[in-house]
Amino acid sequence: MTDDLSQDPALIQEFLVESEELLQGMDQDMVALESSPHDAELLNRIFRAMHTIKGTSGFLGFDPVVRLSHRAEDVLNAVRRGEAQLDRPCMDALLVARDQLGNMLQDIRQGGLKQYQLDALLAELAEAQKPRVSPPIGELLVKDQIITPATLDALLAEQAAAPEPRKLGHLIVEKGLSTPVQVGDALARQKEIADSLSSSQTMRVDARKLDELINLVGELVLERNRLAQLSRDCSSGSLAVDELSSALGQSSARLSFITDELQSAGLKTRMVPIEMVFRRFPRLVRDVARNLQKDVQLVIRGEDTELDKTMVELIGDPMVHLVRNSLDHGIETPDAREQAGKPRQGTIRLEARQEGDQIVITISDDGAGISPERIGRKAIEKGLITTEQLRLLSPREILDFIFLPGFSTAEKTSDLSGRGVGMDVVRTNLKKLNGSTEIDSRPGLGTSVHLRLPLTLAILPVLMVRVADETYALPLRSVAETAQVNLQNVHRVEGCEVLCLRDETLPLIRLGQLFQSSPSLAAGASNSGAETGRKVVILGVAEKRAALLVDQLLGQESTVVKPLGNYLHGCPSLAGATISGDGRVRLVLDPAGLLAASQGTAPALGKVPA
Amino acid sequence: MQTKADANPNPPGRRSLHDAGPSSGALLQLVGFHVGGEEFGLDILCVQEIIRLQHLTRVPNSPESLDGVMNLRGKIIPVIALRKRFGLEPAPPDKQNRIVVVEIKGTVLGLIVDSVSEVLRIPAGTVEPPPHLGKVKQEYVSGVGKLDDRLLILLDVDRLMAADDLNVSPALA
Repeated sequence: MTDDLSQDPALIQEFLVESEELLQGMDQDMVALESSPHDAELLNRIFRAMHTIKGTSGFLGFDPVVRLSHRAEDVLNAVRRGEAQLDRPCMDALLVARDQLGNMLQDIRQGGLKQYQLDALLAELAEAQKPRVSPPIGELLVKDQIITPATLDALLAEQAAAPEPRKLGHLIVEKGLSTPVQVGDALARQKEIADSLSSSQTMRVDARKLDELINLVGELVLERNRLAQLSRDCSSGSLAVDELSSALGQSSARLSFITDELQSAGLKTRMVPIEMVFRRFPRLVRDVARNLQKDVQLVIRGEDTELDKTMVELIGDPMVHLVRNSLDHGIETPDAREQAGKPRQGTIRLEARQEGDQIVITISDDGAGISPERIGRKAIEKGLITTEQLRLLSPREILDFIFLPGFSTAEKTSDLSGRGVGMDVVRTNLKKLNGSTEIDSRPGLGTSVHLRLPLTLAILPVLMVRVADETYALPLRSVAETAQVNLQNVHRVEGCEVLCLRDETLPLIRLGQLFQSSPSLAAGASNSGAETGRKVVILGVAEKRAALLVDQLLGQESTVVKPLGNYLHGCPSLAGATISGDGRVRLVLDPAGLLAASQGTAPALGKVPA
Repeated sequence: MQTKADANPNPPGRRSLHDAGPSSGALLQLVGFHVGGEEFGLDILCVQEIIRLQHLTRVPNSPESLDGVMNLRGKIIPVIALRKRFGLEPAPPDKQNRIVVVEIKGTVLGLIVDSVSEVLRIPAGTVEPPPHLGKVKQEYVSGVGKLDDRLLILLDVDRLMAADDLNVSPALA
């Protein structure tokens, strides 16, 4: 900090050049940071740049530069360490600081530093450095107009004056200014806001799950060592071929086991209780019911059922839509209910349970139900089906039409639902999660919608099959059986091919016809080779069954299924893709899509009475 | 372009790129490649890697120019044949063919090209708006650059990816 140094023109010049460059880089990085606020690399670069400027300007005695860059560096450090949020005001403050530093450097170039009014900016930066907290409960209650600001002030004064600390919530309820439920809600929302302020990229994991993971990794290390030893023995020539073969087999089996366990344990760490999703519904139901002037109680079951975190985030919206549907169209007004001999208060049930390798979430109500007749009529109106075909469908199959885009039978659309854009989105969202939707309803009694999700997002046991020269995977869950048939048993009914198997008539699916872009498949379909001894895979989805014609059954595998992306739009029969042992991408077929595509609006076929 | 500064062949010691070329300043770094006899350029920052042709799995009922999908170290990415996208006649596979893997805003996709030439640097100032290039290509071209006596057609990958029938936005992880 000596005068001599600060007057040395060469040093000053170097400082200016370097700092200007740093500021330039900072500019670009800050812009990039706006669109990816969690990029640690960017943050670190900006921090280091600011740190350098602070250091060198201090060395040369440029105080205003030091003060400003120091404060900015503190903010950046806090953000880096996760203590502060990089939100709008913070970003703005940093950008202004950067610009101001640029101005200061300009001034130095042109003669010398001036006087700067930095107080406001420094205050802003200090503010940005503080961690954000969620609003205090009093504020939330005022916002909801449950208590007035004046009342709040009075209460706060009373709270301050009280000999023992009393919670504001208790005071409010005591004085009858609000109900425990309302205060409870406000507290829940406060927590929600607090949760959302913390990064959504992190999550809590039960320590036991992590212990299990670490154990398994330990096992993996042991097996790795064994393999390494095996490799050494092999290259040193001390192993006979049959010894090697046997040892390799054992190692492979053990590795297989450990990998399965690791995969399972790893996925489990990402599982969270569904309670997180259910949490928002009590308030939703109460608000909407109040708006519609209906009396509804919400019953929640199975909230500690766990599912993958990603699913939790994506299942929320479909559920909200379904609950709103129940409120809007399902549950009747108290008067209507009374007339129908039902209790004035309607009930909506949210239930989650695990069924085998699936999680089933059910949203049900005891409202008016959906009439298959109405749906059927609407379907005929829209030209989706003929009266003839309608007769052959079961009530459940008719109700399925609700999931088609644009299909809404609501007499008038309301704010909440009824625009016909909801149910198909629910189904699509579920499909994205490798799940499915089912609807059950009895007019006058109520409606239930079941959302089925795989227990884990990714792993699926599949049956690999070969059709022509392509290999496909079929989710084992939907494979009822495989059989060998004689193609002479295939007949045509109303333009579709059907197979008679034992006492059942099943639609026959030829992949070549569905997948038109594959010339080899098309060729295979039309000149099917042998007529006898052909293999079929009987697929079953809900009540529907069909037979898929294949050329070869290749065996079962447990694979990781990856979604393919939006360019799959043209093909609803594909569920995703997987990478097989030979490194190639294999498509995973979607049985539900296959059944739908092959049938179109073909008549439903079932068991022929013996 | 700050990150590539160290590779700048211009006056040593200088970290900034800003003095490279005529008054306009910046230098564009591009990966050059050939499709159908013409030379194209892609911003090097979008190019993740360049690999040889690999096995592609066809996706039924997918857009015309989507040749298929492939396994890129465990990630399944779509692969587009640029020849097809530009409306050219398909050519038999050649040893020179490469897949240029591009990455933009988290979306990864592969582009099949006839051959890859080299990494080129052209001053931003020499880039001109594209002349009429035929309807199909026009959409994806952001400009034309000149290097010695070569004409480089600069591709806009954003627009390529945003093309309606393609819709390659990322799905779930």
